Amino acid sequence: MLLEVFLVLGTVIIYFLLSKKKEETLPFKEGWWGRGQKPDTEEDTTIRPFKVETTEEELSDLFRRLDQARFAEPLENSCFHYGTNSVYLRKVVSYWKNQFNWKKQVEVLNKYPQFKTKIQGIDIHFVHVKPPHLPEGQSAKPLLMVHGWPGSFYEFYKIIPLLTDPASHGLSDEHVFEVICPSIPGYGFSEAPHKKDFDSVSAASVFYELMVRLGFKDFYTQGGDWGWLICTNLAQIAPNHVKGLHLNLASVTKMGFFHLLSVLLGRYLPGLFGFQDEDVRRMFPFLKKGLYRILLESGYAHIQATKPDTVGCGLNDSPVGLAAYILEKFSTWTDLEFRNLEDGGLGRKFNLDDLLTNIMIYWVSGSIVSSMRFYKENLQKGIGTQKHERLTVQVPTGIASFPNEVMHTPQAWAQKKYTNIVSFHFMPRGGHFAALEEPELLAEDILQFVGKVEKEHLWRKEGDQLP
Amino acid sequence: MWQETLPKAWESILSRIRSFEYSQKNAVLVPAAMLGVGGMLVYWLRSRHKIKTIEMGDGWWGSGERPLKGKEDESIRPFKIETSDKEIEDLHRRLEQARYAPPLEGAAFHYGFNSSYLQKVVAYWRNNFDWRKQVEVLNKFPHFQTTIEEPAAHGLNEGDVVFEVICPSIPGYGFSEAPHQKGFDTIATARIFHKLMNRLGFKEYYLQGGDWGSRITTNMAQMLPQSVKGLHLNIIFVNKQGLRRIISVMLGAYVPWLVGLSREDVRRMYPFIQKNIYELLRESGYLHIQATKPDTAGCGLNDSPVGLAAYILEKFSTWTDKSFLHKDDGGLESKYSLDELLTNVMIYWVTSSIVSSMRFYKENISKVSRLTADARVGVYVPTGIAAFPQEIVHTPHVWAKEVFKNIITYSYMPRGGHFAAFEEPKLLAQDIMHFVRKVEQL
Repeated sequence: MLLEVFLVLGTVIIYFLLSKKKEETLPFKEGWWGRGQKPDTEEDTTIRPFKVETTEEELSDLFRRLDQARFAEPLENSCFHYGTNSVYLRKVVSYWKNQFNWKKQVEVLNKYPQFKTKIQGIDIHFVHVKPPHLPEGQSAKPLLMVHGWPGSFYEFYKIIPLLTDPASHGLSDEHVFEVICPSIPGYGFSEAPHKKDFDSVSAASVFYELMVRLGFKDFYTQGGDWGWLICTNLAQIAPNHVKGLHLNLASVTKMGFFHLLSVLLGRYLPGLFGFQDEDVRRMFPFLKKGLYRILLESGYAHIQATKPDTVGCGLNDSPVGLAAYILEKFSTWTDLEFRNLEDGGLGRKFNLDDLLTNIMIYWVSGSIVSSMRFYKENLQKGIGTQKHERLTVQVPTGIASFPNEVMHTPQAWAQKKYTNIVSFHFMPRGGHFAALEEPELLAEDILQFVGKVEKEHLWRKEGDQLP
Repeated sequence: MWQETLPKAWESILSRIRSFEYSQKNAVLVPAAMLGVGGMLVYWLRSRHKIKTIEMGDGWWGSGERPLKGKEDESIRPFKIETSDKEIEDLHRRLEQARYAPPLEGAAFHYGFNSSYLQKVVAYWRNNFDWRKQVEVLNKFPHFQTTIEEPAAHGLNEGDVVFEVICPSIPGYGFSEAPHQKGFDTIATARIFHKLMNRLGFKEYYLQGGDWGSRITTNMAQMLPQSVKGLHLNIIFVNKQGLRRIISVMLGAYVPWLVGLSREDVRRMYPFIQKNIYELLRESGYLHIQATKPDTAGCGLNDSPVGLAAYILEKFSTWTDKSFLHKDDGGLESKYSLDELLTNVMIYWVTSSIVSSMRFYKENISKVSRLTADARVGVYVPTGIAAFPQEIVHTPHVWAKEVFKNIITYSYMPRGGHFAAFEEPKLLAQDIMHFVRKVEQL
């Protein structure tokens, strides 16, 4: 009897030990996302230069819609508690009609070289910026930066110069980057998939193919929002090619008993669960800062994960509706306190030109519906159920934890998934749209992270397993 | 000081009773016991008869401060729905300029309203739908408006063989003015509708409702039971909470009779997780966003009639029959005509009421404590329940009884979904008649 018990126990222990050592990779996801059947001919792999364009017709159509916009009066004293306040929205629309210059903004967008190339049947748009000059003996390090929803490649326009030309911006030029910012398929100028099931692993596979096509053997990746998940998946698919993974959001989707316990007791025994003072400050009281906050702020994710075509329909037809929907996030996700302000605090951290340029990218490309479908493709089977959610990440990881992110993930939780955290910093200020809101802070954190990885040669180099 | 005297006094009484002879003891104990039991019985009987109601309260929903002086204008003014060339041209222009995103291959209605089918609907709307004619159809029943707690509540009156029917628009919906203040919930609506009936000269009346109407009429019955002769509902909401409920759900799969579930209940409710959790999550995104950010969700819909149609018609598809998700056209025209569907959409469009209609979700759902307050108060008026098979959620009789203490009829309807009155008017009317006849006999 005792022997059997020991045998069983022994097997269990060995299983756990072995299963921990076995670092499984996520398989590369093949796909064909173009219209109809995949043709027999070889795919066109050329990389074509791309420029954003606009026409008089496009502008006059927009102005007509702005002129005919119908608004509903807000409730008295509701500020941003019921969503975007329509009194403030009228001001935005007035600026949009009379002062915002889309032609000028198109020139701003085109100041960085952009390209398109066909991968897995769809045209992928990306920005590719090389450093203007390199210090002696240095080579540019490729850095893939992935945006999220409702953002775009434009979010990176302020941080790109800090990374490609740090010296001119008062930063150390020990590491200089060549930055690649693709648009997620279905967002902005990247073609939307025509088939169902295009999820974050599909996006990661497409972006991996992109980096290979651009000739990079290894590279760094950076992301927040969906970019966080896509870059994480990329690190899981191709760990030997991702030198380092930097994130400004590090959600944990696979919650277990440990997490539950730490939520219940973490406030009183923070040390036991690996919580630092700042973690406790940001996370507790948990009902208010965790659960209720998530419930209050996740309605958009719920409807987009279930009925994207319905909710996106009106937004693709009404630029004012589109603006209201997107601006609400730029308000609340930058600082939850902004809900108490009549103008949602939107002018405090961003300027209207930047906000409207981002919205125009969704408008002129008609991509709001396809951008929302990404939620359904990723969430419809439930949170915590996907294979990639069960796998860990061994690539050196750096996490910049911004204080106004909607929900805080402590290092104690993140390290269960990201087993090789090289740096984890509590940023002094900033919210969800870090690259646009606090580009210097984010750039500094990326630079110090890469510095650590490079100095200690923290990336592994083993045999190539991928095509 | 009394801490010493009280026990001493008690002790002396006890010792005196102990010292009594047996028969004397009886003489004291038996009446004492009877008094105790009798007292409890009286209390219990009285508490049963003292029906708990919810407070009626009062409210002000107009702009700015409530005026101190002067009574509210209580006149009931006849109302006719009107339209204009300008309104129709504006609509046509928006329909013509609509931008669509092509659906995914093979998506049917699984991602929401299929935009290929939507284009067909919009083509009909632009070229065949006659709003002027529909306005005449709407005006065939008399409409009125009256000002209650400021917003103008709007209702219909129709002399009928058996019933005189009053159909108000919930404030914030259609031609009833929207509240300007926060906090307008089903209880405020219930109070306003009681005031309306009172103003129309009715002391006692029947109530019928589905969707929000079910919550509102239930609140009305809880508020003023003496005015409600009967309450007929085609959907009921009961708080599914507690260990007992979980156990009854688990047992119900194997021994339904033990937990009071009928075979039809089981057919409609199981598999439980699939139907009550998974499907509910899949269909409640709109509820989540409307209960948290109504002004955001409604903004684009108030500006794009096509977006408004997609949003509303998706419900008329999925909530009529869940299998319609698999159809490219969402099965809409199998149960309704496009004229009927578009007229309903037009009511939201011409009144610009989509945003205020959505706010109703936030006002009612974010207050968790208020919900439990009126959930504790039962419903004692005669109640009739028509349970339609394709309703989003099925509530069995045995669960309904926990809230509705006086169920006179509970009918399993043979067909139909959420929009019962629209989809199966005859079936619903028959069940209402059947219920009212029973109530009249009581």
